[in-house]
Amino acid sequence: MNREQGRAEALFMPRSFTTTESNLTGSWRYMRPRFEEKTAPCSTACPAGEDIPRIEMLTTQGAFREAWETILMENPFPAVCGRVCFHPCEGSCNRRGFDSAVAIHTMERFLADSALRNGFRSDLGKLQSWKERIAVVGAGPAGLAAASFLARLGYVVHVFESLPEPGGILRWGIPAYRLPPSALQHEIARLAGLGVEIRTDCRIDPSGLEALERDYDAVFLGCGFGKDRPLGIPGEREEGVEDGLAFLSRIRGGASPRLEGVSVVVGGGNSAVDVARTVVRLGGRAVIAYRRRRQDMPAFDEELQMALEEGIELQELLAPAGIERRDGKLAVTFRRMKISGEDADGRGRIVPDGEAKLEIEADRLFTAAGAGVAEDWHRPPQEETGLIKLSHSILVAPEGRPVRAYGGDATNDVQMVVTAVASGKQAALALDVLFREGPAAIRERLAACAVGPGPSLSMEIYTGGPRKLRTRHVVLPEEINTDYFAFEPRITQPRLLVEERSRSFSEIDLKISAGLAIREAGRCFNCGICNGCDNCYLFCPDVSIARGHEGEDRRINYDYCKGCGLCVVECPRNAMTLEGKS
Amino acid sequence: MKRVLEGSHAVAEAVRLARIQVISAYPITPQTHIVEILSDYCASGKMNARFLRVESEHSCLAALIGAQSTGVRTFTATSSQGLALMHELLHWASGARLPIVMAEVNRALAPGWNIWTDQSDSLAQRDTGWMQFYCEDAQEVLDTMLMAYRLAEMVNLPAMVVLDAFFLSHTYEPVDVPEQEEVDRFLPAYVPEFRLDTAHPFALSPLVAPNAYMEMRREIAAAMDEALERLDSVEEKFAGIFGRRYGAVEAVCCDDADIVLVTSGTVTSTARILLEELRAKGEKIGILKIKLFRPFPVEAIRRALAGAKKIAVVDRNFSFGATGIFAQELRAALCNVPDHPPVFGFIAGLGGRDITTEVLASIVEQTKTADAPPAESIWIGLTEAAYAFGRP
Repeated sequence: MNREQGRAEALFMPRSFTTTESNLTGSWRYMRPRFEEKTAPCSTACPAGEDIPRIEMLTTQGAFREAWETILMENPFPAVCGRVCFHPCEGSCNRRGFDSAVAIHTMERFLADSALRNGFRSDLGKLQSWKERIAVVGAGPAGLAAASFLARLGYVVHVFESLPEPGGILRWGIPAYRLPPSALQHEIARLAGLGVEIRTDCRIDPSGLEALERDYDAVFLGCGFGKDRPLGIPGEREEGVEDGLAFLSRIRGGASPRLEGVSVVVGGGNSAVDVARTVVRLGGRAVIAYRRRRQDMPAFDEELQMALEEGIELQELLAPAGIERRDGKLAVTFRRMKISGEDADGRGRIVPDGEAKLEIEADRLFTAAGAGVAEDWHRPPQEETGLIKLSHSILVAPEGRPVRAYGGDATNDVQMVVTAVASGKQAALALDVLFREGPAAIRERLAACAVGPGPSLSMEIYTGGPRKLRTRHVVLPEEINTDYFAFEPRITQPRLLVEERSRSFSEIDLKISAGLAIREAGRCFNCGICNGCDNCYLFCPDVSIARGHEGEDRRINYDYCKGCGLCVVECPRNAMTLEGKS
Repeated sequence: MKRVLEGSHAVAEAVRLARIQVISAYPITPQTHIVEILSDYCASGKMNARFLRVESEHSCLAALIGAQSTGVRTFTATSSQGLALMHELLHWASGARLPIVMAEVNRALAPGWNIWTDQSDSLAQRDTGWMQFYCEDAQEVLDTMLMAYRLAEMVNLPAMVVLDAFFLSHTYEPVDVPEQEEVDRFLPAYVPEFRLDTAHPFALSPLVAPNAYMEMRREIAAAMDEALERLDSVEEKFAGIFGRRYGAVEAVCCDDADIVLVTSGTVTSTARILLEELRAKGEKIGILKIKLFRPFPVEAIRRALAGAKKIAVVDRNFSFGATGIFAQELRAALCNVPDHPPVFGFIAGLGGRDITTEVLASIVEQTKTADAPPAESIWIGLTEAAYAFGRP
């Protein structure tokens, strides 16, 4: 330090050795930023209300167990929904307007598989214990979901299932190439861990129902749509005509008939496509005859596309008119239809195309043109004392009498697995409010745990978890600061080759690697939630964002925050809000 | 070792020899060759320095202010519009007493868009608290760079080493490039007067209230005065090692001169040729080369011009609404000297137009024939053709 011509005194220059903390720059503030987490559009679109932005954030961090448990909080069946859900979440993903939606569906499947492979155990257990006992009729997705949530809420739950194994449509209706039995088994096994008792081969009839009502404080009915609706045409009872759901159930029960020749499948939903693809796997040819057009089909287009690749023929605008047994085969007559105007739901209205007809010679015919309840008492009453009609479920809770709750296909507008889960969850929460606070509180308490504007409900919000701090505001695409995101191609779901899959019932969708999953999860904007990116901390000119050594517990030091709003603008995901100072 | 170098590369060699630790620059013609070779030196490991790429000259100087505050030696180079964009930060650097050294290649300001030499860019930064050295040739550029660091670090003020575009920046000349150990002897490792240190925190450049601001300004003024005093000792030491010295001003044959041409930059070399020609004819001409513009060496100028009869200032710049800037400074330096010689102000060579011996001869002739200088500047070599340029 021997400065040759060093100076005697320190430079007199603008330099302060005292703390600047005496200058409370926060007193200059007229706008006030705060951390305020909001609601992601995907999570409101999810009927189960899954906390998708958090799931993807945890996945990005490699915290697969926590991510999986975050799903389980709201949906007990990630391995099922990761395979068969129609993923409306992706349809409202804010990333769609940027490049393409995050593959949320694929990520759910990945997390469920990771949980299975790594033997993850969920910490989500019983929150408390209540004395009330609840019977669940039907071990389908609605009944099992209701049982799962009721058990976590502290109730004694017994499930009654008429078939030898639980699962309902999941076990007996969806083919193994879409939902392998092992995936379902592990989901159901978790219920036992919650203390849910499932009694199989236990058929309930109306008198059995009355008995349950005597023995239990409430009965949940989730009996599903167990039977295909009849076509209402001549010859429907001919030999070789079979109910599509019954056929799928037979195959899932272990039957493996050779189905040579042509099978006609009447219908346009997922069951129709599943029946046709099952036929192909059993060595037959399948023709799907649908009275509307391809774009009007309720079946998932991706499934239909794969079906077409597997050699299934689609015939549009054909309404079945009659079936005759002729020379050991079926002669199926269709009326040709045409489009004339629009229906209320926006689909083309179909009318007969004059007298035009088509006859198809087939070896067998499967009906899959919409299903309904198998028995009348599975259907909820429309009017009854104490009836509370909710968006996905119906409660009948007359004063002083046993409580009955309905869920699943019979109460849902859309008959999908995840909507069945939503109905089971809604009924479970409603029953809890009913028992704890009485029927008058149900609507208000359920509204309080809605995800965004609802109707999806959150168990985490209901039970007072941190998610309840988020506002209902659904993050808009323009509220994302896309400067912080780069275009990234969406992951492509790897699949069996068409030659491999059309010969077996092996699962078509293949697993993805953890590396790919982390990359795909990294595409998520994490709309409305803080993922600890630290932009606020880095941009704050007043060093007013305080946080712990690990980056946790961010808060704003309002003694010094000038309210410039930089943090809010630079937050890529709208997890902060700037408000006018009151 | 003698090498044939561009003026730009003479700057770069000086930066290398001064062991600069952080360089930041934004490329602009005619400065580009300087930072081009330096970025190469940083990339290849020939220099142990960080080269910070930036998106503008404003950010460039801001980055260097930050870097220099941590106690390292820094460098940048710019020109014209780039320097204008730095203007705000020039004040920050001097106010924070940071001895940053910059090579400034004189270039005209737009519009009209013009990449050629002109002093308006650097002279427009006259009052920013930076020292300014105007160089005549590549050797002087290299030597002045080294001396500028030495002096800047002594008085804690930033410095600009100014060189003419193309006439100096892009012209190859033999240059004696000193050895590293010689330079190390002249310019030892930087020992900062202060540096940011998380172990001993302080706030740099905070709010200063009226009760102290004026005193801090006075300190900068005093540092400028000190620089003027210390330049001689720095040159002394430099000459002791390298055998070369330049002075704040250089007076050539001024003692008996009837007319003294006051010059700066490369024009001085042209003036030296004219001086030989005219002296050979018996005309008593002198030259006063002004190298140091800030701090302005008033005393040295007064001494050098004590015997002159008339003074002709060559300004390659113009202050609109007034006169050439060197002429203004000259008049200000002399106005309180009794019976001082009259100051003629000439404007020549703007926007890179060549200032030849003929141009300078014309200036001498006009000065000789006029009895007293006009109040306004005399523009040399204006042509009708130039006025007609671009007219529809």
